[in-house]
Amino acid sequence: MNKRFMAAMVVLCTAFSIAACSPSSEEKPVLVFSAIPDQDEARLMTRFNKVANYLSDALEIEVRYVPVKSYSASVTAFRNNEIQLAWFGGLSGVQATQLVPGSYAIAQGVEDPQYVSYFIAHADTGLQPSEGFPEGIEGRSFTFGSKSSTSGRLMPEFFLREQYGKSPEEIFSRVGFSGDHSATIALVQSGAYEVGALSYQVWDRELAEGKVDPDKVRVIWTTPPYPDYHWVIRGDVEQKFGEGFADKVRQALLDLDDRDVLDSFPREKFIPASNEDFLPILETARSLGLMD
Amino acid sequence: MNTTASGFRRTTLWLGLAGLLALFVADISITTRDPGMELGRISSGFLSPDFFATEQIGSALGYTLSFAVQGVTLGFVSGFLLALLWRWRMIRAFSATIRAVHELFWGLLFLQVFGLSALTGLLAIAIPYSGIFAKVFGEFLEEADRAPALALTPRSDAFSVFLYARLPLVWQHMKTYGAYRLECAVRASAILGFIGLPTIGFHLETAFRQGDYSSGAALLYLFLGIILSIRWWFRPSLLPLWIAAALLWAPPRANYTEGALSRFLTEDIIPAPMRQNDWQWHQLTDWLLMLAREQILPGLGNTLILGMAAMLMTGIIALLLFPLISSQFGNRFSRAGGHGLLVIFRTLPEFLLAFVFVLLLGPSMLPGILALALHTGAIVAHLSGRFTDSLTLRSDASGGLNRYAFEVLPRIYPNFLAFLLYRWEIIMRETAILGILGITTLGFYIDSAFSELRTDRAVVLIAAGVALNLLVDGISRRLRSHLRLRNGLADQN
Amino acid sequence: MFQFNQHTLQRQGVTVLQSLNLTIQQGEKVALLGVSGAGKSTLLEALRLQQPDQVAWCPQQGALVPMLSVFHNIYMGALERHAAVYNLINLIRPLRRELEAVTQLAAELGISEKLRTSVDRLSGGQAQRTALGRALFSQRPVLLADEPVSSVDEHHAQSLLMLALARHDTAVVALHDRQLALNCCDRIIGLKSGQIVIDGASNQLSKHDLDILYQRR
Repeated sequence: MNKRFMAAMVVLCTAFSIAACSPSSEEKPVLVFSAIPDQDEARLMTRFNKVANYLSDALEIEVRYVPVKSYSASVTAFRNNEIQLAWFGGLSGVQATQLVPGSYAIAQGVEDPQYVSYFIAHADTGLQPSEGFPEGIEGRSFTFGSKSSTSGRLMPEFFLREQYGKSPEEIFSRVGFSGDHSATIALVQSGAYEVGALSYQVWDRELAEGKVDPDKVRVIWTTPPYPDYHWVIRGDVEQKFGEGFADKVRQALLDLDDRDVLDSFPREKFIPASNEDFLPILETARSLGLMD
Repeated sequence: MNTTASGFRRTTLWLGLAGLLALFVADISITTRDPGMELGRISSGFLSPDFFATEQIGSALGYTLSFAVQGVTLGFVSGFLLALLWRWRMIRAFSATIRAVHELFWGLLFLQVFGLSALTGLLAIAIPYSGIFAKVFGEFLEEADRAPALALTPRSDAFSVFLYARLPLVWQHMKTYGAYRLECAVRASAILGFIGLPTIGFHLETAFRQGDYSSGAALLYLFLGIILSIRWWFRPSLLPLWIAAALLWAPPRANYTEGALSRFLTEDIIPAPMRQNDWQWHQLTDWLLMLAREQILPGLGNTLILGMAAMLMTGIIALLLFPLISSQFGNRFSRAGGHGLLVIFRTLPEFLLAFVFVLLLGPSMLPGILALALHTGAIVAHLSGRFTDSLTLRSDASGGLNRYAFEVLPRIYPNFLAFLLYRWEIIMRETAILGILGITTLGFYIDSAFSELRTDRAVVLIAAGVALNLLVDGISRRLRSHLRLRNGLADQN
Repeated sequence: MFQFNQHTLQRQGVTVLQSLNLTIQQGEKVALLGVSGAGKSTLLEALRLQQPDQVAWCPQQGALVPMLSVFHNIYMGALERHAAVYNLINLIRPLRRELEAVTQLAAELGISEKLRTSVDRLSGGQAQRTALGRALFSQRPVLLADEPVSSVDEHHAQSLLMLALARHDTAVVALHDRQLALNCCDRIIGLKSGQIVIDGASNQLSKHDLDILYQRR
């Protein structure tokens, strides 16, 4: 009993000392980035490790990707400097730049200044595609994507309020948040919700991959365009990685032409962006009471 | 009538009426168009589990166990220290408060400061568990025989008296309870994955939400396997090794940014109107009133409705299921089947069950009620059924329904009621977090506040949840002492 | 050494002994007799309160810690003689010095082979020997014992009691065996209905004289 007790104590003390002494910050600075988990979450690591490898080669430092479960978690991580670079949606991007003074947008996809959302409906509702705002969605059940999504929540809610002058809870019989765009398709397709709103890109991709059953769910409306996804970097990276680092990152992103890597987002290519490009999003978020 | 049973009947009647009323106003519609088809897809997933589809499954398992082992160890030690001061009202109130906040909410709070780190996982489990351990150990010590300590020479120092004449009396109970808590902690640790910590729940949530039921089923099987095999891989003598392994796998550290904690305390949780330079009191009251009207009251109302309805269903399910494992009924094979069924529902966390039921039935209150009732009902049925094993009936006792109604039920009813009332507080705690799944209980608004990065609102909402929990705890305790129910066994939440 | 002057003793709010007058001198070996409920235990507790630091205490049922070994239960008599850390170490790992002392005592009490057995696995008689062992190990001058040998067989009871009495300068022992009391003690106090009804030297009393304690009124 005593020998075992002593042995146990030795093991414990060793473990404690190793746990306490192992370096908490590596010798060489590591750039850590993340992305909002907007779609295809099961393959996040596979998708974004490609991006990490590309950036690592281009910047000649170690670059690591960490997966997060929610949009807000990515913003919190950015705020706490757990990540220095992030691929945000419109809303999460302005949340981040508001919360972290000195941080700014550096690049966006070529598609992003003209992003749109689709409203989709289950076939049984009989709702038909229309040019103008769709008739007959009032009183049905409706799902957004993530609570912090721009194309899955913020802009659809904005257009809904603009149309009806009241909140989604008052417009629909039931309002849900699916969590991400892929889940929105699944929920409307299964009939859990009759109508939903999501990013056009995710719909187009899943349709092309045959994951959508066109007999069960279809697009009924395309919203007017608005700016969405962008890369945001912390202002203090220059102190950690050297002068001009943010510009180097921006250039690496703009230079990216590897189709395989670009498909992870998916984007055709990246173009420069600045905080001002997303002021409309900030205004909208404030008008909906999502930001103070 | 002047029988012992009439007191129990009255309590049952009131609880039943409250439950019925709740069921009546609750939104229990099935909102999916074709639950049968989804059920088919889920079933075929469970028949063809895919163990290789999930990225980094090994490390997810490692984190799940690491957080659980570390959390329970820290909770055990600090809960024990709190239990030593149990006679102080302050300590009791403090313990009740920290255990009234669910692990997931603690996790969401610590995420703001320590990020997605091992430290967050550790604290999210250790803090509420300290409160639970404090209560249970405090009661153990209160109930332990004082005679050995009083018989010692009065000049012996207090520490030695405690070591020799108090601690040995409760040590075995503490060890047993700690091992049981480890099982709960593995569940809690897995669930923490739902908010982003790298445990098995992270991948479970993804797989099920994306409709990838084969890899989801594989993860669920792994999870069940781990919990059901605890008794083999976890022995008290191996504890130091497990702690060492857990510390090495996930050193309790965080990529802590200078000032994050003070920012959290002096900025994030300060109500928004008070952060302006020249704020006035009426702005704060307006803000609180707005929060109360739009979120706290609807959230509390729905939590209460769902919780009470779940309580009623729990009672019904437990009364139906306990004969399955009771030695007073059935035969060896029916009992083995009954045990199997109850073990599965006891082992799967209610949060996880609710998550799957939401996929099947849509986000009304129905999935929540079902999940809570099945999980808690299985626990109460297990405890009640085990209790019937200690009954000795006359050899000429009747069989079948008569035996159930005349011989067994009257004898176990007080215990059944005690088990159920002990569970009430836990049901309410779990009901609150179901909001994270989209069911509009308090947790829905808390989750929204966090996703809008409004920690100030989240803190006020969590405090409202704590108040509800303390209230329910108080009522339950009063009912139990009024009915003179006492059974430490049931405190296994 | 002990003195009561018109004292009234209560137990849980009920008066057990009324207007008690009693003096016990140093060096006396006193037996307390009386039916159960006569107030023997209450009187012993009151005596203990008068000289808390002089008394080796051996209550009824022993008040042992069931999960601990005989060694530890006996050692508990000596807790006050050592620092808390010393006690802690001895709890985790019995120290040789203490082990030797306790072993010797246990041998005299006839339980040396049970030294590492936990108390909950002992017979009633063995547990009583352990409790007596603890009292002896506390090494104090006054023994107060409540039915210390009631579960030990007659023959051993006397030698055990003699052993315990011999180690103490003064002793007050509650007993139910009249012969044992007459054989071992030099003063007998009989309690009945809240009063002292017998108080005399044992060589002046016969077993017959004591019968009055057990007769119904």
